[in-house]
Order: sequence, then structure tokens, then C-alpha cells
Amino acid sequence: MIEVRHVTKSFNQDTVLKDISHRFERGKVNIIIGQSGSGKSVLAKCMVGLHRPEVGEILYDGQDFVRMPIQEKRVIRQDIGMLFQASALFDNLTVEENVMFPLTMFTNMSRPEMQKRAGEVLERVNLSGKNHLYPAETSGGMQKRIAIARAIVMKPKYLYCDEPNSGLDPLTSIVIDQLISEITKEMDITTVVITHDMNSVIEIGENIMFIYKGEKWWEGEKEDIINTDNAEINEFVYASEFMKTLKEKLQRG
Amino acid sequence: MNITFHIGRYFILLTRVFSRPEKWSIYYRQFIKEIDNIGLGSLGIVALMSLFIGAVIALQTASAMDSPLLPAYTVGFTTRQSIILEFSPTILSLILAGKIGSNIASEIGTMRVTEQIDALEIMGVNSASFLMLPKILAGIFIFPFIITISMGLGIFGGWFICVAAGVSSSNEFIYGIQYDFRPFHITYALIKSVVFAFIITSVASYHGYYARGSAIEVGRSSTEAVVYSSVIILILNYVLTQLLLL
Repeated sequence: MIEVRHVTKSFNQDTVLKDISHRFERGKVNIIIGQSGSGKSVLAKCMVGLHRPEVGEILYDGQDFVRMPIQEKRVIRQDIGMLFQASALFDNLTVEENVMFPLTMFTNMSRPEMQKRAGEVLERVNLSGKNHLYPAETSGGMQKRIAIARAIVMKPKYLYCDEPNSGLDPLTSIVIDQLISEITKEMDITTVVITHDMNSVIEIGENIMFIYKGEKWWEGEKEDIINTDNAEINEFVYASEFMKTLKEKLQRG
Repeated sequence: MNITFHIGRYFILLTRVFSRPEKWSIYYRQFIKEIDNIGLGSLGIVALMSLFIGAVIALQTASAMDSPLLPAYTVGFTTRQSIILEFSPTILSLILAGKIGSNIASEIGTMRVTEQIDALEIMGVNSASFLMLPKILAGIFIFPFIITISMGLGIFGGWFICVAAGVSSSNEFIYGIQYDFRPFHITYALIKSVVFAFIITSVASYHGYYARGSAIEVGRSSTEAVVYSSVIILILNYVLTQLLLL
């Protein structure tokens, strides 16, 4: 479980996160949603240690991540997998080498053992046989799946997914969403998905936090977010015609 | 941002670079790869430039020797001095600052803007050390060899053109190369090459590491890497000459 307590973060004079507290539960796909610029990515970056909040605590199973020494942070980080918006695969490494990278850095496994483990996770994300391709030779959806494989190869306890569907077509988005959800259940990990895609929220969302102008505005389940009366959330959720139509259909029963 | 900010941030980054690596074997592999990139990848241009500049120095010296009082071996002597003291260690380093420096800055800068460095950090890898240390050590290791090869080829270029063009006899040129030879000049040149290798690789890595934003920023960081490392090389060239030769 990850717990965020009273986190505040500013850049120069601009306060981007204002006193945010939330619990991200294990075995669930926890979702942070909000408009672009609302602060959700900054919160995620604080949670993985790329930004340091001025105020507040970030607890990984009770351990305060913000104030621990860098060496201890690196140990915690080995339990964190992250899927980046642009996948962040290493261009000069093959698919297999990308997936094996954390194993080569942090384990004493032999090369055949690493290749076996990489093969297992690549099979899990339906990418068997693509081991020797370079990231540039793969599609956007495949790159996301390679990044997921790399994120889970060390059997992490926590998985972050930053805009997992950005740049993907609707069908591939569903595949990625399903994969994230299945992996969360199979590995019983704490997954945090940062998104503004309402399809993802409806598809896999469980514990949802809505951030509005740097503040935690709302939390609940996906059924609640569709039916809430909160004006800011409604403005966000029903910005698209698809969602408006869906709401009308639901209201008509 | 002022210059003191950059100097401070550069030294703070260096403390991260020289911290204990996570796994020596991975760094060693990267080190070998960087020797190939930095060293072997530069040999062609180094050889070409050294041969031609050596030849031109010899021809210019010969053309300037109007007085019959000047001994014929002056051409060899001047070529050797110019190549060993200045061309190979300094001018070549400035050229390599352009080639290697821009390459390193754009490589690391691209990794920064595509979040690859963030990915390393989140995995628990010391990204500064992982990306920069092998490059710096490879530069420090391989530069003296490159500079030594350049010295040999530069002097050979001078000898070849003198003999081929009939400017000076082979014996006179070789006598000039040996005349008043001070081995410390080689040491001085190699010390400079090591210092300049460190500047080129570390300054370029610094600019790439702190690149922000888009491809335009990566291009800008690459240009800044070349400009800053060239200026630092020029200043240190003066300082080292003052300290070591006088």
C-alpha cells in the first residue's frame, strides 16, 4: 500500500500540489485523474521520488520515502515499476535487453536465467518472438507492452502507469488497460494509473482520485464518478459527446 | 542562470558521478563500448587531420625560411615542436570537443527528454554515474593514445611532404625531429590530453544531463557543450603551459 499524507509541492511561486492525502490500495488499479496541468503527473513524480515535496509524507508500506537516505530510496525503487507516457525504452537496446536491464543491474542471475525471465514476461504481454527487435522497429502499442514487461520483470510491489493510453488507438488502449488490470490482480501489487482518459477509468478504475487545480477534489469508485453531482467532475467527465450520450442512456435505464 | 550556478551544479553532479557503481561488470562493459565510440570512432578524422596539418606546418616553415643562416633541419624541428606542443594535444582536443562533445550531449540530452533518465532513476540506478562515468573514464584512457597517434602521423605527414616535394632531405628532417628533444614535452602533451579528455566528456555530459524540453533544447545543449568545453580547454591550456613549461 502507498499512502500520501499532506503533500504540497511548489515550483518557484506556483503551488502545484496543495495538501494532498490519499491511500493507494494493494491489489487495486488506483487511478489519479484530472485535467492537463492539474498536478497529477507532479504527484506521481513526487511519489516515485523524481520531485521532492516541501511538505508531507509518502509512505511505502509505512516507510517514509521522502526523507529516507538515497541508498535506501534506491532499494525501495527496485520494488517500483513504471510505465512512462512515451514508454522511455532504451533506444540502443533490443526488446529483450530492455526487459533484462533491471535484472542485469540488480540481480546476479546468469544470462540464460535472465533470458528465461525476460521470455516469460514478454510472453505475458503477448510479445513472444519479438526479442531481437529494437524499440524503433515496433509500434506504439508494442512499445507500451515492452515497457510493461520491463516494469514487471523484477516482480515489483508497486506499478505506476503514466498516461498508458496516450497516442494509442481505442482498441490498443483497451488491450493495455486490460493488461494493467490483469497484472495488478495476478501479482497482487499496488498499481497507480495517471490518466485523463475516461475510457480507462470506466474500464479498469477502482480507487479513483480526482485532482482539480492541485487539490484533491474527490475520491470514490467508478460508479460514483458517473453519478456524482460535483460540477467540476461533471465538467471533466462529460466533456466528450461519448460520455454525455452514455450518461443519457444510463439515466434512461 | 549565472555561471556560478552552473559551476556549482557541475561539481555536485560530479560527486554523484564518482559514487560507487551498482555493478562493476556493467560499467566495465559500458567503458569498453565508450572506448569504441570515443576512441576508435575518432581515429579516422584524427589521422586525416594530423597527416595534413603536419604536412602544411612543414611546408609553411620551409616557405618562411628565407635566410641561408637557418639550418635545413629547422623544418623538422619546427614541425615536431608545433605538433607535439600544440597541435596534437590542444587543437585536436578542440576538434574532438566538437565531434565527441556534441555526440555525448545530444545522446544524454535525448535520453533526458524522452524520460529514459527518469526510467533509470526510478529503477534505482544512479543515472549520473551510469551514463557519465564510463564516458569520462573511456575519454581519459583513450585520449593519450589518440594524441600519441596524432603526433606520430603529424610528424610523418611533415616528413613525407618534405621528401616528396624536395623541400628538405629525409636525413635533415629526421635530424630536426631529434634536435634538442626533451621527453618532458611528451609528458606535458599527455597531461594536457588527459585534462582535456575529462573536460570534453564531463562538460558535454553535464549539458546533456540537464537538457530540458524538446529537441530544440537538446540541440542547444549540444552547442553549449561544445562552446563551454572549448573555452575551458583554451583557458586550461594556458594555465597548464604556465605551470608545466615555465
